[in-house]
Amino acid sequence: MNEIFIQAANRVNNPAIEEWKAQGKKVIGLVCSHVPEEVITAAGMFSYRLRGIETDSTSIGDTYFGPFICSCPKAILENAGRGRYNFLDGAIMVQACDSMRRLDECWRKAGEDYANIVPSFFHYMGVPHKVTDYAIAWFAQEIEKFALALTEHFGAPSITPDSLAAAISLHNESRRLLMDLEALRNAGDPPLSGEEAMTIILAGTAMPKSVYNPMLAETIRQLSGKSAGHAGKKRILLAGSVVDDLGMFRAIEAEGAIVVADTVCFGSRAYDGLVAEDDPSYTTLARRYLNEQFCPRMFGYYEKRLEVLKQKIETAKIDGVILQNIRFCDLHGSENGLFERDLEALGIPCIRVEREYGPLGDEGRVRMRVSAFLERLSCPPPPGTGVLKRGFSTGRPPPAAREVIRHARSIEGIQLRLEPVEPVLRSVQDGRRHTKGVRPDARTHPEFSGRHRAGHGHGRARAALPERHGQVPGGGGHGP
Amino acid sequence: MGKYLEEVVTAHEKGKKLCMTTFCQSPAIFWAMDVVPLLMEPMTVAGSLVRKGGANEFMDYCVEAGFTETSCSSQRGALGAYLAGLAEKPDFVVIDTPGICDTNANSFSFAAAYMKLPFYQLNYPPTLKDERAEKYHRDDYRNMIAFIEDQTGNKLDTARLAEVMTEMEKQDLLICEIQDLQRLVPSPVPVIYNFFIYGLRFTMGGRKEVTDMLEAMLAEAQKKAQEGKGAIFSGPEKARALFIYIDHYAINVPLWSLLDERGVTHLGGILDRFYQADAPYAGDDGYKISTDSLDAMIDSLAEANSRLPMVKQIRGPYDAPNMWLEEGLGLAKMYKADFCVYSGTPGCRNTWGMVKLMAADMEKAGYPTLVINADAFDDRVESWEQTRHRIEEFLEVRRLV
Repeated sequence: MNEIFIQAANRVNNPAIEEWKAQGKKVIGLVCSHVPEEVITAAGMFSYRLRGIETDSTSIGDTYFGPFICSCPKAILENAGRGRYNFLDGAIMVQACDSMRRLDECWRKAGEDYANIVPSFFHYMGVPHKVTDYAIAWFAQEIEKFALALTEHFGAPSITPDSLAAAISLHNESRRLLMDLEALRNAGDPPLSGEEAMTIILAGTAMPKSVYNPMLAETIRQLSGKSAGHAGKKRILLAGSVVDDLGMFRAIEAEGAIVVADTVCFGSRAYDGLVAEDDPSYTTLARRYLNEQFCPRMFGYYEKRLEVLKQKIETAKIDGVILQNIRFCDLHGSENGLFERDLEALGIPCIRVEREYGPLGDEGRVRMRVSAFLERLSCPPPPGTGVLKRGFSTGRPPPAAREVIRHARSIEGIQLRLEPVEPVLRSVQDGRRHTKGVRPDARTHPEFSGRHRAGHGHGRARAALPERHGQVPGGGGHGP
Repeated sequence: MGKYLEEVVTAHEKGKKLCMTTFCQSPAIFWAMDVVPLLMEPMTVAGSLVRKGGANEFMDYCVEAGFTETSCSSQRGALGAYLAGLAEKPDFVVIDTPGICDTNANSFSFAAAYMKLPFYQLNYPPTLKDERAEKYHRDDYRNMIAFIEDQTGNKLDTARLAEVMTEMEKQDLLICEIQDLQRLVPSPVPVIYNFFIYGLRFTMGGRKEVTDMLEAMLAEAQKKAQEGKGAIFSGPEKARALFIYIDHYAINVPLWSLLDERGVTHLGGILDRFYQADAPYAGDDGYKISTDSLDAMIDSLAEANSRLPMVKQIRGPYDAPNMWLEEGLGLAKMYKADFCVYSGTPGCRNTWGMVKLMAADMEKAGYPTLVINADAFDDRVESWEQTRHRIEEFLEVRRLV
């Protein structure tokens, strides 16, 4: 692995930034994949995606943000407060999600207490939550405002159609190369692990594209046709909240799986979808950045995202999907619930994991859950059930619950704490529940709280509510 | 509320469509289009106020259905019942919070995906009054009307809309008068009236029943004002509280009882500020209803909608022009508040993202500010007794009563 990629992926600062700054050029930080980086590049600057890595606490973040907030912006603020982002010349705050957009105020307020941590250019940009002609027009104007503010602040030459076209071309080249890398990951015998792939992808968010692209092209050339001994491992798609910590990949792959695809921010979300090159304009940028994002902040596009997910599952021959969300990330957390329901109904095994952002403090817990999930993936499907099979539903009716349970009981070493058969059977017959009766992983782990054992969370939609109280031993949770 | 609930449960019987929507969405357009607005938050509040255990089991059901437990409880309560199929199934979903509140918008987009319902969002840019924002409001609102027409198969009836908006205009004036009287010391407006104002406006705004009730409320407040009396039942007014966010909805409305017991006037909060042009606090941020033409009506509805509680105040940086801090400081001064209270839910990602900063700014301006960590809709997070204790401790430690 290229050492520059490793440094760029693992460190807040890296040699590529230092080299860029040594040339007297500007670095602009951004917090969301909805920021059109082409504008920054066209202005002769380098767009750097802000991360909360290398933090060992969120004491500064906790001072300004409230307690019920995602740890990602808190960790970014921590880095800013500790001066680790002092190399930034500017930062752009975005109406991304509610936690992230409040980084704007919290960073500014922290700047009253910590000297010189707020870059001289600090810009707030709105991003619509829908795709309509007037939303695209509004966003195009917002991008133009940003472009003007940026060039005026730094006295940079105005952005011209030519400079914008060149920037679009450069970023598209990067996207195409990353798509090539994804194709390598998707192969039956991937030449690199998920962690290595993510290292390469993350590096691209922390290096000027003009420096990154040639290195990426060379890396892909070297990887093509190689084998790294990953064939036969369980193939995982990672979905959900932002993941920019290689520790997450390490934790999954340490259990014997390989992450061959993702839909996460910093991952494929950043490079899926090219900007049209035949009309280099702010409207073209607005169209791509509203249309091609896999983020649930775009309300009402669940079906579209589900289709993208299904396509990736099929292309990468996925065995199981890990749907993770950072605590308090309700957008991804809730959509994960829908994905779980709809993918499980297609026979695609899923697991939902809630976690914290940052140094993987809960690595042990994540590994335990992943391990249990992989154990589930390793169970041979009961004959004729279609459960745990790879790919999509055969259209056969859901399995009879008794058969599923009998089969699960026969697997050596698994201790089941099953719910009474009848309710399971009833909900299976209702078509609402597919493989849920055989989730020994979730049932037997000591980390699971009593609440989960009682049947809460993780997408277990049961039949009608009144029945629930009658059917779950121990009261079914903490209702009145 | 009874009348409203009757409308909800009989909508389909009467051949009307049922639209799942949110509190910060003016219901007038739905009534005008013969659609019954099905509001999640007032339903949750109704459960919390009158039912032992509140809406808790429905909140839990949402989690079982895949919705996060950290989401806003104001929707989760009623939503659980709908996800479980225990209530009349809505026909479509229209919301008003993308750009304002993720957790609110997410609840409804989740519901639409879960129940496979048609979905429309009114989306807001982070500014309020510039030309671009106003054009966006108008375009988006017209698009919403087209969506409702598609869903109902009915064209918007201009005469019916004018009728509803005329009623809404009357109600606006009555609310403005009541809120003007709140400025008097002692306040002649009973502590519970702020709750009535927003409860009525959210559910039945534009309906004649609301006008009648507001008229009765205004008459009562005017009588007290003419007599030079305050409206605290327990005795003289000792302090004046501005709730910069929402109230607390445990069983039997204990928040308002506590305030009255302790001689504290409730000066209202974010939920009862609608920014009518005549509102004493509106300055030049207010909207004016016009029934001159269909376009004028739609424009003024779009303008009113974009100034609804939360929709106005927390769409941009809290300290930007026209936003939350400006409102908090303005209202505290105008209504002679002695202190401020932030009450909300842990699910409110937006305000918890900056409420510490807001509270610090209010304190700096001389207004003691209490931030309550409870959940206004779920007393399992913190019991009302604990919350009450915290409020009383605050009143005593800061020597407010």
